[in-house]
Amino acid sequence: MTSSYTEEKSDLSSNNGLAIINSKAPFSSNNGKDALDIALIFGSFEQKVSLFFQGDGVYQLIADQDGRLVSIKDYLKTFSAFEFYDIEDIYVCQQSLVNRQLDEKFHIDDVQVLPSVEFSSALNRHQHVLRF
Amino acid sequence: MSTLHLVRQSAFATNDFAQCLSVLDHQDSIVLMDDGCYNLKHSLMDSLIKRVDGTLSINVITSHAQARALEILASVQHIEMSDVVELTFNHTKVITWQ
Repeated sequence: MTSSYTEEKSDLSSNNGLAIINSKAPFSSNNGKDALDIALIFGSFEQKVSLFFQGDGVYQLIADQDGRLVSIKDYLKTFSAFEFYDIEDIYVCQQSLVNRQLDEKFHIDDVQVLPSVEFSSALNRHQHVLRF
Repeated sequence: MSTLHLVRQSAFATNDFAQCLSVLDHQDSIVLMDDGCYNLKHSLMDSLIKRVDGTLSINVITSHAQARALEILASVQHIEMSDVVELTFNHTKVITWQ
């Protein structure tokens, strides 16, 4: 009885969270930085945020990048602050990685690589979605 | 008549690169820059490399590829932005795919 109540409660809280979809490569537009700012703002107000990386957005997570080489302040380094903002649900579309011949080698830990079906059901659990 | 193609978009997000390849001529050159560097890993690139017959040259801006943690392909020439200036003089016209 108790366990089913807890389960329901955790389901409910994930229903109310915000999902942010990242769909753009990191250096040619401001989309990635804007999404990061929104995520951290929600995090600092203790709102539940989940991050989704899809399409060219998966490039934001790839290890060994260096924005300084193209004169861009490297906002990707700030991704390591997610745990301090209690942003723990980070999902990556596996198909997008496969299409781009990318290894599951990311510059932050605790990233969940999900196949298409699970990726969409994780997204569909959220009531609010912002896409960048 | 030769053309210099500056490819600045990822083929995974737009079909600019596919359009570029569809009008590509024998003596043309391609430069992958900005998000165009991601095309190094695209399947269109494999078919392009098979097409290369010595006259057509494929180049990539080294710093742009490095910033994106992309590995270096042996079949592609690595150049700097300053080399693009020379390339523009060596071709009759330039098309920017962006």
